[in-house]
Amino acid sequence: MSNDNNQEVNQPLKVPKWGYIALLFALVFFSGFFHGVKGWQAALDFNTVNGTFGTMKDAAKATFTGMGGAGARDGFLFAFGLIPACMLALGVVEVVDHLGGLKAAQKLLTPLLRPLIGIPGIAGLALITSLQSTDAGAGMTRALRENNSISEKEKTIFAAFQFSAGGTITNYLSTGAALFSFITVPIILPLIVIFVMKIFGANVMRFYLSRVMKEEADSNGKQIAG
Amino acid sequence: MANKSLVDVFVDGARKGWNIGINSIIPNVLLAFAIIQVLKVTGLLDLLGKLFTPVMMLFGLPGEAIMVLISAWMSMGGGVGVAASLYTAGKLTNQHLSLLLPAIILMGAQIQYMGRCLGTAGVQSRFYPILFGISILNAMIAMQIMRLFA
Repeated sequence: MSNDNNQEVNQPLKVPKWGYIALLFALVFFSGFFHGVKGWQAALDFNTVNGTFGTMKDAAKATFTGMGGAGARDGFLFAFGLIPACMLALGVVEVVDHLGGLKAAQKLLTPLLRPLIGIPGIAGLALITSLQSTDAGAGMTRALRENNSISEKEKTIFAAFQFSAGGTITNYLSTGAALFSFITVPIILPLIVIFVMKIFGANVMRFYLSRVMKEEADSNGKQIAG
Repeated sequence: MANKSLVDVFVDGARKGWNIGINSIIPNVLLAFAIIQVLKVTGLLDLLGKLFTPVMMLFGLPGEAIMVLISAWMSMGGGVGVAASLYTAGKLTNQHLSLLLPAIILMGAQIQYMGRCLGTAGVQSRFYPILFGISILNAMIAMQIMRLFA
């Protein structure tokens, strides 16, 4: 696993042209930009394609879960109703990934890593991976450190980015999708806030380490890399 | 990879969604609903609500919302489940859920990710406290940001 990662992170990234189109599609589809729009554009909105359940004949407001339920039984039916959003979201993400959309995202993000969170562009693949899987992202981060592609300080900053909202995309579109039909804002908005805060958190760590490292270097010459 | 049709690819992804649904969402949400039911019938939910009202008021949330954050910290599915349960019980509104969603993800599953993220990446354990602190801070700020939009 770690050998594969070492090879992958050192190769220049090739993005198929469909990758950018797929990424653009994903951004529009999940942004809620066309939510509530009449006409063909409505097909470009996640919540529209996810649709609605039919209602009960007796109580026009109740779905198949009925009204006034409680406890485990109510929770089971409620949770059952959450699964389509999760299946639809991960199905679309799989297609976008297959067409190279995540590679496109990686290519676009790579030059931003240094200015945004102070880690080298070589960590781009690990970053994109960490958005899909906490475990795989952390594994690749370790590999980057082991072949000295990133310093100990950079690894710790990177960990602060990954640790808050780990597996961001997958978790947001699977677990978080359960709340999509109840929120009052476009579904892309909380995701943007999450990314902004992840970057903010990494920079808190960056600031903290700059101070700690300086203090340690001043007092006994010890470095965080050790 | 190249000989797979897009239909197959979509179905593979949807199958992942189904597996997450039955292995994670349903058990987590069911547990959350059961716990909320226990808290409700014992009167503890109202008590917790009253106790945490002053703190949660700072975020524009009712006191009961503290349960969402605590359970999210242990597992994201749990946080979503408690949020959904409090919503169906009429304790949380759509606006409250909008505030809570990014917070659930940002401080979610930290207990698990301590091993799966920090442990795997080999982060020095002396940084664990500040890493937990950063995530919780991220969640707090996110709730305040969401108040501007929700």
